[in-house]
Amino acid sequence: MKISNLHKSYGKFSLQVEDLSLPAGEIYGIIGPNGCGKTTLMKAIAGLLEPDSGHIDYNGLTPRDITMVFRKQYLIHDTVLHNLVYPLKIRGIKPDEELVKRYLDIAGLWESREEYAPGLSSGQQQKLTLVRALIFSPGLVLIDEAFSNLDMESAATFEQLILEKQRSSPATYIICAHQLSHIQRLCGYILFMHSGRIETQGPASQMLTQPENSKLKSYLQYASLKEGVTD
Amino acid sequence: MTQILDAEVLAIITLTLRMTILSTAISSVIGVPLGLWLDRASFAGKRLVVMINRTLMASPPVVVGLVVYLILMRNGPLGFLRLLFTFEAMVIAQVLLITPIVCGIVYTASQRSSERIRVFALTMGADKRQTRSLQIKELSNEIFFAVITGYGRAMSEVGAIMIVGGNIRHHTRTMTTTLSLLRNRGEIEQAVFLGAILMLIAFSVQMIADFLRKRERRADENF
Repeated sequence: MKISNLHKSYGKFSLQVEDLSLPAGEIYGIIGPNGCGKTTLMKAIAGLLEPDSGHIDYNGLTPRDITMVFRKQYLIHDTVLHNLVYPLKIRGIKPDEELVKRYLDIAGLWESREEYAPGLSSGQQQKLTLVRALIFSPGLVLIDEAFSNLDMESAATFEQLILEKQRSSPATYIICAHQLSHIQRLCGYILFMHSGRIETQGPASQMLTQPENSKLKSYLQYASLKEGVTD
Repeated sequence: MTQILDAEVLAIITLTLRMTILSTAISSVIGVPLGLWLDRASFAGKRLVVMINRTLMASPPVVVGLVVYLILMRNGPLGFLRLLFTFEAMVIAQVLLITPIVCGIVYTASQRSSERIRVFALTMGADKRQTRSLQIKELSNEIFFAVITGYGRAMSEVGAIMIVGGNIRHHTRTMTTTLSLLRNRGEIEQAVFLGAILMLIAFSVQMIADFLRKRERRADENF
C-alpha cells in the first residue's frame, strides 16, 4: 500500500503524510500522543474519511477487503451470533458452524450467542467486534485502540489469533494502541506520529529500544508500559 | 342501546378503520423514505425544509382541513375532481396531517444513528444497498414508532375530517366525528361507549402490529 501527499484538515489540526509505503502482509503499529492524527490516518486508509488531497494505492484491495475496528464499535441490534456472521452474510458466504463456534469461543461468547449483543459488557462487546472483523479474513485490518477494554488474558488471546491468522493467511494489519506491550508483541514495524505527521518510522525492535528521535524518546519515556519493552 | 350503536356503528367503525389504515399506509409510504432521504441528502435550504416539516408536525387539524377544503371546494383548484365531502377527501386531509409526523420522527431517528450504522457497514465492506438495508433494519423500531404515532393521530383526528368530510350520515361519519356529535347532543353515555370502542381498536391495532413485528424478527433469525 502506498500513500502519497495525503492531507486532511480539521480546524487547527492538519494531517500531512507525504510519502508512505507499507508492503502487504506485515503488522504495523502506529504510536503517538493523543491528538497526533493516528485515528485520522487510519480512517483515511479505511476509506471512512475523504482526504482534502492525496492518494492511497491499495495495491488491488477493494473496500470489501478492508475493515476497521474501533474502541467503541457499532453493534447490530440483534444477537451475538447475528453480529458475528454479518460480514459473511453480506458476502453471500454461508457461515460454517465450526468456524462460528471457534471464533465465539475465542471471544468467550459461545454460551452468550443468542444474547442481545448491545446488552453485553463493554469488554464482551469489544471481543465481539474483534472476532467479527477477523472472521471474514480481510486483506487489510485496521485496529484502533481496540484492546483497551480487554483484560490482559483476553488481549493475549487476540494477539495470538492475529498472529495465527497472519501465519495461515497473511494480511496487512495496522494497529494503534497506547499500550506498547501490544505493539511490541504484534508489530514488526512502527510508525511514530506527532502533530499530524509521521515523525519517524522503523523496525519495532529498533524504534522501541533504541529510539533516536527526541520526540519518540520523550513519548516512550512517558508511555505507560515502557517498562514492558525489553532491550 | 339504540339503533345507532348497533347497525350504524358497525359501518362507522368500518369506515374509520378503512380511512385510518389507508391514510397511515399512504403517509408511511411517503414519510418513511422521505425522512431517510432528508437525513442523507445535502442541499441548500435543507434546514428550512426540516423547519417547515417540524411546523407541519404540529399543524392544527382544522387548518389542514380548511386548506384541503379550499383546494377541493367547487371553485378551488381541484374542485373539478368533486372530492369534497367524500371518503377520499378525508384520507387526503389525514395524509397531509400524518406524513410530516412520520417523516419527522424517521428523520430525527436517522439523524441520530444512521451515520454510525453507515460507518459500521463500511468497515464491514457492505455495499450501498446492504448499507441502506441495514440502516432500515436498525431503525425499524423507530420506523414502527413513527407509523404507530401516525396511526394514533389518524384515529384521534376530528377537526380536519369534519371540515372536508362533513360528518354526513352513512357516508363520511367516522367514530370521532360521531363522538363529537353525540357529545353535542348530550348523549354522553353513547359517546363514552363509542370512545371505549375507539380505545379498544387502537389497542388491538397496537397488539397486531407488535405481533407482526415479532413474527418478522423470528423469520429473519434464520441466517
